[in-house]
Amino acid sequence: MFRALFCIGLALLVPGLVAMGVSLCGGPVEWFTDTQTFWGVPISLFVFWIGLAHAGTLISAAFLVLNVKMDRRTALLAEMSTLCSLAVAVCMPLMHLGVIANFYMVAPFWDARGNISNVRSPLVWDFCCIAVYGVLSLLFFVSHFCMNPLKDDLPTVAVARAWIKKVRRPMAWILFPLVLWVHSVVSLDFASTFVPEWQGAFFPLYFIAGAIFSGLALVNFLLTFENYRVRVLEKLTLVCSWFMCAFWVWNFIINGNFCVSAFVFAGVLPQLLFVEWVRENRYACVSLWLSILLGMLLERVYLVSPTMETFGWIDLGLVAFGAGMFLVTFYGLRRLLQKGIEDDELLMGDVDTVGEALDSEFEAASRKYFLPLSTPEYRILRLPVLCGILVAILFSIWTFNANDQVNIELRLVNVFPLFGPIIALVAALILTSRALWTVSRKSVRWVVVSLLVAFAGACGAFYAGGSSVPEKASAETSSQLLDNVSVVNVVWDSRCATCHGIDGKFNKKFVREFYPVPQTLSLDRLDSIGEDSLVQVILQGRVNMNSYEGRISEGMARNLVMYMRILAERDSARASSAGEDEE
Amino acid sequence: MDRREFIKVCSVMAAAGLLYGCRKIPFVGKASSDESLSRAIPALKDFEDEVEKAMARGGKNLDLVKVPMPSILNASDADLQNRFGMAIDLDACNGCGKCIMACIVENNIPLVTEEEREKDRFMHWIKMRGDAPFMCAHCGDAPCEKVCPTGAANHTPDGLSAMMYKRCAGSRFCGANCPEKARKFNYNDAEELGLLRKFNAEVPVRGKGVMEKCSMCLQRLQNDRLRFKAEHPFNEWRGRNVKTACAEACPRNAIIFGNWLDPESPLVKAAKHRELFAPRSIAKFDPSVVYMRGRR
Amino acid sequence: MTPLMNALACLLALASARFLWRDKVSMLKESLILLGFLLISCFYTFFAADMSLVQMEHYPFRMLALFLCFSTTELPRKRRRYLVLAQTAWLWVEFFAGISLFYRGLDMPWIRITAIAGIAFGSSFLSRINREMEFCLMVFWIAIWVFF
Repeated sequence: MFRALFCIGLALLVPGLVAMGVSLCGGPVEWFTDTQTFWGVPISLFVFWIGLAHAGTLISAAFLVLNVKMDRRTALLAEMSTLCSLAVAVCMPLMHLGVIANFYMVAPFWDARGNISNVRSPLVWDFCCIAVYGVLSLLFFVSHFCMNPLKDDLPTVAVARAWIKKVRRPMAWILFPLVLWVHSVVSLDFASTFVPEWQGAFFPLYFIAGAIFSGLALVNFLLTFENYRVRVLEKLTLVCSWFMCAFWVWNFIINGNFCVSAFVFAGVLPQLLFVEWVRENRYACVSLWLSILLGMLLERVYLVSPTMETFGWIDLGLVAFGAGMFLVTFYGLRRLLQKGIEDDELLMGDVDTVGEALDSEFEAASRKYFLPLSTPEYRILRLPVLCGILVAILFSIWTFNANDQVNIELRLVNVFPLFGPIIALVAALILTSRALWTVSRKSVRWVVVSLLVAFAGACGAFYAGGSSVPEKASAETSSQLLDNVSVVNVVWDSRCATCHGIDGKFNKKFVREFYPVPQTLSLDRLDSIGEDSLVQVILQGRVNMNSYEGRISEGMARNLVMYMRILAERDSARASSAGEDEE
Repeated sequence: MDRREFIKVCSVMAAAGLLYGCRKIPFVGKASSDESLSRAIPALKDFEDEVEKAMARGGKNLDLVKVPMPSILNASDADLQNRFGMAIDLDACNGCGKCIMACIVENNIPLVTEEEREKDRFMHWIKMRGDAPFMCAHCGDAPCEKVCPTGAANHTPDGLSAMMYKRCAGSRFCGANCPEKARKFNYNDAEELGLLRKFNAEVPVRGKGVMEKCSMCLQRLQNDRLRFKAEHPFNEWRGRNVKTACAEACPRNAIIFGNWLDPESPLVKAAKHRELFAPRSIAKFDPSVVYMRGRR
Repeated sequence: MTPLMNALACLLALASARFLWRDKVSMLKESLILLGFLLISCFYTFFAADMSLVQMEHYPFRMLALFLCFSTTELPRKRRRYLVLAQTAWLWVEFFAGISLFYRGLDMPWIRITAIAGIAFGSSFLSRINREMEFCLMVFWIAIWVFF
């Protein structure tokens, strides 16, 4: 069965990869983009898949938080589906970009030239939220597997269990709001714009409901193939379909939009669950879950590009790519982790008892007297969260300062949506790092350390920034205009004087911000460097100085070096005459 | 199928798919090296034809509402001396479309392919809406700049809504958030397809996947500023010698460029006694390009 | 929306909140009540308010959140947890809707948000919730709804 699904996935993935390749190569012209919004199918698919990606973690975290009993195998499958759909979802906005190589500029970090991403943009929040969400749901998923490490070493197992028990439930408390936060932020991509079809202050809730609904359908779909049914989830799906209908009605009242096909597929058909024959029949169930997924996909397409009429073959290929990649990664991963999933310790219906154990621990603790700020609840959950809040505040102070330098006026509202992911990231890392470190094997530790080093390297590369030379410079001709010796002072005054000063002395106010402080261009120094190296410095750039290649010609650079000499000579003459005056 | 076999199959499939998808790339590379000399450069006539087609398609009429005269920007770094803008005299304008052509020649705006033309995706920075030209209004409180994730769309202190092409990631969020759709997206590599003619060496050619829009002939402003600063380092520059390409080209003098904060500017002189209008959807964003009609 | 209609909405939530946790708890019954209240508040908003106002876009969902808050006082067990969750839900609605409206030119309702956040934070420390405390909380919520 799983192999059949895997093959279906492959069969979808291959044409999907072709479509993906074509659209990566050809860019946005290849697929449908709305004339009003410039957005198209990749964004609808992104919203769809990110919605699916919320379900798994949300379900297992929310159930853990709310003390609803759920077996570990369902939780595992749900969380695995989260990771796989997240992988699909991440591809989509990347492909949507016109200049894919520039995607990293969205991260709220700065580079050596003082460029900084625009924190006011919901896309930046989106980027951060999804990155953090990916990391944390991976951690949450991995924590399952730390529960049954190497069997032969019993003391280690005991230690590991003790640690994980302490971690999983607080982690769920952090993930539960984070999941909702991420999808609220995704909805703000739409709700904060001036596109009439996307206006709605209720969008955050609408999107959350949609995400939970489609995610539940997916989890049910996957469970059906495990020959297993979870009543709670089925009921919940049914309930969600009603709420979706309520949201659609409200959206119709506000914006006059109503997607009939979505209503039929995801609103009307699920009601068949009331028929017992449908509930009991596996094939009927599978088609029902698929119809919900289809309906939600159509709804997202309709929402993102209201003027869309027909799917082109590339659009269909992208849809196939999503489905195929999901099936392949999911069932590939499932095969890889089969031992862990189908472990004799992890039977279907085996209830996750971690929560209860912790609960009883808390209950026992609540009877004791603790000094303020030393209860287990405070130590385990509140303290990491407080640390997260502190980091978030520091981050916002830094962002306010950094944006002040590029003259972007920030408000608290602009930074606040980043608080959620920052707090969650810091808190979860503090929470889990010690536990996972003690539990994990040596090889895992090495992987973690090398990942950290790679991350630091990436930050460094980001800080260094890319080239500032325009790709298609028209410099050959424009520099000719300024190649005349008589305009050398104009070029100096316009291009160099901001830092180097009109008189060749440094503009102190400007230069003091740089470190190391550059040396004065005195006559001695100019002679010691030599003309050729100076020309190279102008053309190639050095430390804080940008490269001017392509913006001025080599001849002009030579003229500038000569002009520098003139300025330095003038300066030294002035200095010596001043010296003579003093004497 | 054991695991190794499975992985092998997967990777072969993935590689095949990607290879197929990237099949264009080698040919593209060849084309650019071999045919760079013989690459078709469209004639001026082609551009004129396209302008005619664009005008024939027309656009929605502008829904104008009254606005006050633009004044100092509402920003912490606002320039107190300069805020550049334009006023379009609706009484004088007869919709001849000469401004569109002038803009193309000044800013190296490329032609579009046949398919794009059918989808009404012209690259022209000026569009005829009804009988009046419409271009980016350089809103003081521009919604497009607020949502640009990388900060490529930004505001200069002297009132231009500027664009850093090199920093643009092509998310097209700005285009979605502009109520009047003044922004244009480079769907194609115009140079590659032979749709580009470099009229003006001073304006960089925008690459594929980048957003662009009216820059209010930034290059003319910059050149004038540099020259002025070199000649009179201690005087205040007010941009009095500058005219945008469209303003220069207008036979009936219906487009007037100037500095809203300079009482000597032709713009202020012309707009002082007229009623000013702006499209309803952007009137609340403090636009710098306005329309004038009637006498006050 | 007139202040009177606003207060009426609050009363509506208060009156119907008592039915939520009555009798045996089952998922279908509870969600039917929630859905019913949501639909009622949608229609209430549609008829009682000027729909051209953008603040009305999320009004029914605010009513639903208030309804949830009121209903937690009827719970027999685990009240603190659900109290905090319900207030967080309200905060959520207000906050994200506020951001959405902020980008469309309205001010954030900071006073309301800080008030709700303050109560939610404070009530997370409550160890025992007796009748007086319930009454106090309700008064706070009504005050936030009506005055802020």
